[in-house]
Amino acid sequence: MAISKKKILRYLLALFIIFSLNFIIPRIMPGDPLTNLLGEEFSLSEAALQELRSELGLDSPLMLQYIKYWKNIFLFDLGYSYHFNQKVIPLITGRMKWTLVLLLPSIIFGAILGTILGALSGWKKNALPNKTITWTFLTIYSSPPYFLGIILLYIFSFKWGLFPFKGFYETGTLSDIIQHLFLPVLIMSAFSASRNYMIMRGSVLIEKEKLYVVYARAKGLYKEAILFRHIFKNAILPVLTLVALDFGFLFSGALFVEIVFSMNGMGTLIYEALLSRDYPVLQGCFLIITLMVIGANLFSDVLNGIIDPRVRERQ
Amino acid sequence: MKSRTFWNRSGLILVAFFVFVAIFADLIAPHSPWERFEPYTKPSTKHWLGTNDIGNDILSELIHGSRASLIVGVGASAIATLLGLFIGLISGYFKGFADELLMGVTDIFLMIPRIPLLIILAAFLKSSFWIIMLALGLLWWTSTARVVRSRTLQVREMDFVTSSKCLGFKNRHIILSDILPNIFPVALPKFMLTVATAMISEASLSFLGLGDPSMKSWGLMINFAFIKGGLINEMWWWYLPPGICIVLFVFSIVLLGFSFEEEKKVAIK
Repeated sequence: MAISKKKILRYLLALFIIFSLNFIIPRIMPGDPLTNLLGEEFSLSEAALQELRSELGLDSPLMLQYIKYWKNIFLFDLGYSYHFNQKVIPLITGRMKWTLVLLLPSIIFGAILGTILGALSGWKKNALPNKTITWTFLTIYSSPPYFLGIILLYIFSFKWGLFPFKGFYETGTLSDIIQHLFLPVLIMSAFSASRNYMIMRGSVLIEKEKLYVVYARAKGLYKEAILFRHIFKNAILPVLTLVALDFGFLFSGALFVEIVFSMNGMGTLIYEALLSRDYPVLQGCFLIITLMVIGANLFSDVLNGIIDPRVRERQ
Repeated sequence: MKSRTFWNRSGLILVAFFVFVAIFADLIAPHSPWERFEPYTKPSTKHWLGTNDIGNDILSELIHGSRASLIVGVGASAIATLLGLFIGLISGYFKGFADELLMGVTDIFLMIPRIPLLIILAAFLKSSFWIIMLALGLLWWTSTARVVRSRTLQVREMDFVTSSKCLGFKNRHIILSDILPNIFPVALPKFMLTVATAMISEASLSFLGLGDPSMKSWGLMINFAFIKGGLINEMWWWYLPPGICIVLFVFSIVLLGFSFEEEKKVAIK
């Protein structure tokens, strides 16, 4: 096992605390906890409400409610959405796959593009193309992803009509899906790449001053060989950690891009849930995203252990 | 060397420009952002950037929007930086149990998906401007705390700290007057970058319609342009300027932050 028990314990603790937070929030927020738990869009008779209240355990002591909350989580039950007339979990998992279809390729493209360009740019800091790339990525880094989305949507879809400007269809063929996904993936990749680029560039700037680089040069290695065979391995470690930590951030970014392109993923789900104040869906999304973020962190720890012999031997 | 001062200077000029506009918004803006004219007009000499769906002058909205965005960014980042300094200093200086505990808390906070949590909080709390700022500040301190901690760990082993200890100064005194001044070079760029992140986050929340309608920010303007048909009707003068302002403002702050960071690296070397 490439990961220590302490780390796993820490992740479990994080999970426990964030899930508990999710229990507390609707109960301490202003307003009727029943509304806070059900969302604001339902019409039920007073008697039915009373029944629901006791069914949800809102008249029982907090401790019992808390235990029931955890029981439901282990039974994969996150409640019912009155707005969508569906259980929350199947609702979210149905939408989640489309978000992942957008997000995962973007993370991979972003990681490859960001690290390679970042490495080259850190290696030759003052070369003109590298400077241009740095400025471009800095601009992307500074933009809210949805704004990039709006601009590209305007140029490519409205003005030039190259890409469709709405959603993608579950029944579509592969080429159809790719056509719909092209712009959103492009934006998310650029966004993810800009963050990796900055870290990789800084990392190479530090690494290239180290002695092993001088030694490699003294051995007579070509410059590019030094960069990609020696420096790259050391410089990429901070990027790997960042990719995992950034997962939640990129996920949030993807949510906004989805809204701009009216895609059928979690972003639009959250948006619709917001408009109707459908709290169970919002909270369910929060929990699922938390699970995925923690999963990504766990994955990066394991990966770090496999890739970096120093970490491997320490454990 | 030369490029660094160039980055530094251009970032500084841009930031100064935006701060100036934000402070003197009332004097610079041609109209009040709430004043109503004919809606949906194109840019003209009367309204340089046209008017929006309810007839507010977009240029005036834009100028006043700098104020909201600036307050959110700086306010949230100030809260986050203070919190991060506090936690990082304690954790790095005392080490041991306090360190374990505080870094454990930091790790947990680092894993909270912040935007989704903010969406929930803002949805429940009926979006007040100040609450958004506070919540941003309370969620964005983690990376500052980590950086401050690792710098504190270095500084506390330095000779002047040891001599302060030998002279019998209290811990509080050592932290405040010996260590803190040496933390600023790492805390300052973090502060800048947090201002940038906070502004983007506020703009994102506003884009979802969670912004405070009584405090018109740039994000809120884009949101209105998006939902009230500005995009579909190709009214670029409505949604483009606030977006460009966000990007430019964040860009200049990030530029400043990065150039500080690079200076620091050079100084340490």
